[in-house]
Amino acid sequence: MVPTEEPSDETLVARAAAGDDFAFETIVARYQARVFRLACRLTSETDAPDVLQETFLQVYRHLSSFRGESQFRTWLYRIASNAALMHRRASTRRRAEPLDVFLPRFDSQGRHAGTPAELQVASHADELLDRQFLADKTREIIVQLPDAYRDAFVLRDLEEMSTEEVASTLGVTAATVRQRVHRARLILRGYLSDLVGVKP
Amino acid sequence: MNETVCVSGVELLMDYLDGVLPEDVKAALDAHVAGCQRCAAFVASYLATPRILRDATDASLPAEVEESLKAFLRARTNAFRS
Repeated sequence: MVPTEEPSDETLVARAAAGDDFAFETIVARYQARVFRLACRLTSETDAPDVLQETFLQVYRHLSSFRGESQFRTWLYRIASNAALMHRRASTRRRAEPLDVFLPRFDSQGRHAGTPAELQVASHADELLDRQFLADKTREIIVQLPDAYRDAFVLRDLEEMSTEEVASTLGVTAATVRQRVHRARLILRGYLSDLVGVKP
Repeated sequence: MNETVCVSGVELLMDYLDGVLPEDVKAALDAHVAGCQRCAAFVASYLATPRILRDATDASLPAEVEESLKAFLRARTNAFRS
């Protein structure tokens, strides 16, 4: 038997835009789990179902405006990121203390303030902390990052998109993506260290 | 580059790892990290951070959420009719 080749995203979008609802259903089936996971990471497990619904409704309504200039996934994630942003604005509790407390510390000569063992402890956070505690705490801190840092970090480091894809999704330069992801990583690394009980 | 540049090394770390630094700056950072246990430890934890958060925040689509999505799209589009 000859294996049937799966149609590309772009083929499905073209068919769906022409009124083929089965093609749209195939797009939903292909991406719903990934969009849900992204929505959980950008908002919360409570808000994610609403973000998921809003994302695919917007995709359906704007099928004919997808020009194929970017990858479908980039276009889809842009819509999902915007839907998540709308939900966050409505529901996010802001943190009282600044996130700068999690940035690395240096002595007066510009050297790391901690010992090598202290500086490396964040690498073992997943071995030292309870799995559910770590999951709850990391979701909590990610939603408290500034919007620009969170979106870049989640797309680049958690969804594992390339820097260029993230830049295209967010409409910024690759250098800006790198700067935002870097800042988020520094904060989150320090946060993991703090969770383990060691100053960043 | 010597031990006094940990702070500037941290500032350049993402560009360093993404391979967008000029060759001479990269070589200087390589030399610094090779001789600085603190920076080596910091880089290890910096690199581990995305993996730990990726694993901790993984999520599967619950069957009831998938059903709700279908019902929602059925009510608002022409899809999912059959």
